[in-house]
Amino acid sequence: MAANFWTSSHYKQLLDPEQVDVVNPIDKEKGLTPEEFKLIKIHMTNHIWRVAQQVKVRQRVIATAVTYFRRVYTRKSMTEYDPRLVAPTCLYLASKAEESTVQARLLVFYIKKMCPDEKYRFEIKDILEMEMKLLEALDYYLVVFHPYRALLQLLQDANMTDLTHISWGLVNDTYKTDLILIYPPHMIALACIYIASVLKDKETTAWFEELRVDMNVVKNISMEILNFYESRIEAFKGIPEAYKSMTEEKINAALNKLAMK
Amino acid sequence: MAMMASSSSQQQQQNLQSLNPNRGGGGGEEDKGEKIVADRYLKRELLGEGTYGVVFKALDTKTGQTVAIKKIRLGKHKEGVNFTALREIKLLKELKDPNIIELIDAFPHKGNLHLVFEFMETDLEAVIRDRNILLSPADIKSYMQMTLKGLAVCHKKWVLHRDMKPNNLLISADGQLKLGDFGLARIFGSPDRKFTHQVFARWYRAPELLFGSKQYGPGVDVWAAGCIFAELLLRRPFLQGSSDIDQLGKIFAAFGTPKPSQWADMVYLPDYVEYQHVPAPSLRSLFTASDDALDLLSRMFTYDPKARISAQQALEHRYFSSQPLPTIPEKLPRPHRKGDSLNHYPSDFVSQDAPLVLSPSRKMRRVTPHHGAFEGNAHEKAGHARDSRHVGESTGPSGNILMSIDFEALHGSRPPPRPTLNSADRSHLKRKLDLDPDFGYSH
Repeated sequence: MAANFWTSSHYKQLLDPEQVDVVNPIDKEKGLTPEEFKLIKIHMTNHIWRVAQQVKVRQRVIATAVTYFRRVYTRKSMTEYDPRLVAPTCLYLASKAEESTVQARLLVFYIKKMCPDEKYRFEIKDILEMEMKLLEALDYYLVVFHPYRALLQLLQDANMTDLTHISWGLVNDTYKTDLILIYPPHMIALACIYIASVLKDKETTAWFEELRVDMNVVKNISMEILNFYESRIEAFKGIPEAYKSMTEEKINAALNKLAMK
Repeated sequence: MAMMASSSSQQQQQNLQSLNPNRGGGGGEEDKGEKIVADRYLKRELLGEGTYGVVFKALDTKTGQTVAIKKIRLGKHKEGVNFTALREIKLLKELKDPNIIELIDAFPHKGNLHLVFEFMETDLEAVIRDRNILLSPADIKSYMQMTLKGLAVCHKKWVLHRDMKPNNLLISADGQLKLGDFGLARIFGSPDRKFTHQVFARWYRAPELLFGSKQYGPGVDVWAAGCIFAELLLRRPFLQGSSDIDQLGKIFAAFGTPKPSQWADMVYLPDYVEYQHVPAPSLRSLFTASDDALDLLSRMFTYDPKARISAQQALEHRYFSSQPLPTIPEKLPRPHRKGDSLNHYPSDFVSQDAPLVLSPSRKMRRVTPHHGAFEGNAHEKAGHARDSRHVGESTGPSGNILMSIDFEALHGSRPPPRPTLNSADRSHLKRKLDLDPDFGYSH
């Protein structure tokens, strides 16, 4: 995987951490805070995930869709590109790009079934129209690499396949952050292995040393992931219902600022 | 906007019916006067109809370069951007190389997606078919080197082309050969993914595909490149099968029926059937070429895909470093260009009764064409000066150059292929084959 990643458009498009969490000026003018920006992205990642579970696509397709989604908002405003439409369209485009097409009408059907909120419902024509705009926003770069395959290979190599379940889950959660836009996928995989091994009290120092990767990068990524969990736990305060209704309120307030549709 | 998308697709249907280069693809009320598209491209004449839409010649006012613009037809069943087009965009954005067609730009215009490619003057099929062109061994070497270079780049980036044939090897004004048409290409990274074996024009299909393999690799492109190499030497398609079964027969007649010792995995392929054993004629009896050329050719035609030479290894083969060295691209012979021959379809001036041999086109892929015959509509790509002519088996002025393999000619009568062996027969035969590796020769 490494051989082709380094020559890929994905590698060339990696961004600095400071570049990804910048609120677009248009959205900023409407009063969108960096916190709200982050929250909407997490919320929409979950939305993509839930829709994807209905139409049954591979993990890879979901991961690609989320990557497209996050990439779009490093370039475009949420005011002009309604995240509630961009999210399913990203899933639609990713399913085509990953060679397991999902019909637009199926997406439309399931979203209508899932979402009582009118503002999440769109027609086929909206998705197809947005598909063209997305292609442009992505500058027609569609190939994306993910940590999953590297993860399995590395776990095998480290003789730690018993960590597969937990580290796979960690990789899934990294898509609730912008890490995939910043770091090479195999480094994200390593960070997830690192966290998993610490959680499970596995001694991995020797193995990591042999890999000769920049451990500072691995630790930075790990910190990001832990920060993400921490921020959720804080908001959560141990009461799932409270967390849910609170974030919903927050997200609706944030989206209302943008006054779309 | 969506209204516009559907109405413009209707309008396009009308345009397609009135394809006429003189009208410049007009017909819609909006297409008036000087046509600068996307503030950048000056639209010229219609070049033809591609796999998924019409192709125009245009001038890129930003660079002064001549380009070809493909207008992507919208999917029929409200499925947005055409899947094949999307594949091509996805892969070409990752592949930038002198021997791969460049996707210069893409833009939406009036609800349709447009792809801008560098304009290519002709293709290898036109070169091979042009009897006014003499291809020297150095010229052939040059074309093969460029083909393999493009292929090696694809494979290095884990892309299978899957539609290698002379007519997809495009040639630019400065003589560079570039791989084109990535509409069937795909990434082969995921080891567990199954692919369709219905790829390539039949004559260029590797034996593992013909046996129904779904987990194939870059070897399929190398086999096809071998067929192109052979075609450059013979000046006609090498293995012209009329069905998948017949294609395998042609392959085995040329290289001998593979033995399990040559290709152990063969018997496990989904559509594997036993063929009667025939010995391989010597390559020298089939081709007039140097020892190095024949050695490379035999490595590209190795049966076992795992043992077949890779594109990169082929480039390092001594054939490319031995004399004569490859001709530099600018000096390669170019097909004769007749002023407006661009818009001619060969059927316009080919008499009805003479067979015309061209590679089977994509549209013919799943039908069974007459052996060696060709009917009318196989032209997907106009816009390449194509000097079509009759190359029937007896009429070809090929002199001492041998024609493509013909079982009848080599063996008197053709053994019937045996596609319906039952499993008991098969295991019986296998057991016999295990005991006697040369089983079959004495029959």
